[in-house]
Amino acid sequence: MKKSTNYLLMSGKEFFEKRYEKLGWKYKDASTRQAIRINVANTEPKDIIKRLESRGIELEAIPFLENGFWICKSKFSVGATPEYLSGLYSIQEAAAQIPVSLFTEVKHRTMLDACAAPGGKTVQLADQMRNTGALVALDVEKRRLNALANHLERCRVQNTVVYTMDARRASELNVKFDGVLLDVPCSGNFAADKNWFRRRTIDDVKRNAKLQKEMLAEATKVLKDSGELVYSTCSLEPEEDELNINWAVRTLGLVTEPIDCHGEKGLINVFGEEQDISIENCRRIWPSKTQGFFVCKLRKRVSRR
Amino acid sequence: MKLINDFVHRFNASMSIDESMVIEKRSRYFLLNAGLKRLISRDFFYAGIYLGKVKNRVFFPSFPLLNMIAEKEGVNKTVVNEKAEWLFVCGRDLFKQGIVKMGVSARRGAYTLVLNERGECLGFGKIVANIAQTKDEKAVIVKSISDIGDFLRRERNARTPP
Repeated sequence: MKKSTNYLLMSGKEFFEKRYEKLGWKYKDASTRQAIRINVANTEPKDIIKRLESRGIELEAIPFLENGFWICKSKFSVGATPEYLSGLYSIQEAAAQIPVSLFTEVKHRTMLDACAAPGGKTVQLADQMRNTGALVALDVEKRRLNALANHLERCRVQNTVVYTMDARRASELNVKFDGVLLDVPCSGNFAADKNWFRRRTIDDVKRNAKLQKEMLAEATKVLKDSGELVYSTCSLEPEEDELNINWAVRTLGLVTEPIDCHGEKGLINVFGEEQDISIENCRRIWPSKTQGFFVCKLRKRVSRR
Repeated sequence: MKLINDFVHRFNASMSIDESMVIEKRSRYFLLNAGLKRLISRDFFYAGIYLGKVKNRVFFPSFPLLNMIAEKEGVNKTVVNEKAEWLFVCGRDLFKQGIVKMGVSARRGAYTLVLNERGECLGFGKIVANIAQTKDEKAVIVKSISDIGDFLRRERNARTPP
């Protein structure tokens, strides 16, 4: 009986709305806008914009992204044009395009996408690498790996190897990476899932936060000294965001790096608990023009021998 | 590898693929670059450039392989107009009226790549009639075998592997 009462108290729209208010954000209904990202390894952005406009697709440049566009109007699915099927662009939500864009230099590097499927960010990273170097992509779910493989084939990616592997076992590969993308499995947010408030409880959030910490620890292990790690979630819950990064900064030898991107500074006071001041370098994106999102760029301190 | 080379020859093309860089995984073939070859150390799911798969001793090419063939000189190519492009991507055969250009060496029974007017490969088909000798604008010249609309069909059909 006590358990079910707790469940009711620690879930539902009202519960989460109150939490967001305590974090300084007043709940507003939001839904995501469809967006695309141009695969610059396969086409010239100017050319593809002209082609899509000639098909009656109205685009709006996303101000905080180099190759991202919102779809304003289209008579048909943008996932069915010959240009899409030829891998000239991908459908990718605007906020989801941010993490990969934060890496400083990726060409000719060895990179890891630790939670890769269904592959939107993997293709983006391969595109940013211009198919040079090597990109290792991991995921555990077979069905989602098929989607990833189809993405890679459609977008003519050449530099990627995919393993069916849990990110928490990445060190078994015996490879040290110049950069790691850690777009962890998370609780999601209401803007991307209309049933979110009904489906999620604080227990889900805590369980995900624990899993994410384990992934952060393993990702740090396989990262070269001074290597870059970009951590992201589409969760608005600080347990999966600022609190995890605060833990990583204090225990894993990672430091946050300032980033110039869309979103608000990371919270340094979470429900009255002070975090490391460097957590301000993270970016928290409350749902509005994009879905809810959290992103942070970290660098591994050079280990002292 | 023989099946891949035989397939390429059916387009009147020859292509030298470095066999030492090709790796087979459950009848699926992948072309690696030197960096990836060094890195691959265990059972992988997908790697490098996917070339295609063999099923019942028949080779099914990937779209990246078709793109590689399209880059070669003297290959059988059929260029189509925008309307025919849409229809072909939906799995339809090519009528004479939709064909803008066709290689003169292309013979009945041979394979031909199908390209849009920008030179982008949309898939391939089999030549079933001689375009020069065909007067009917609605006669089928190229029978579709595979087109990039397959990516959509895969998404719809429970995300089957390539």
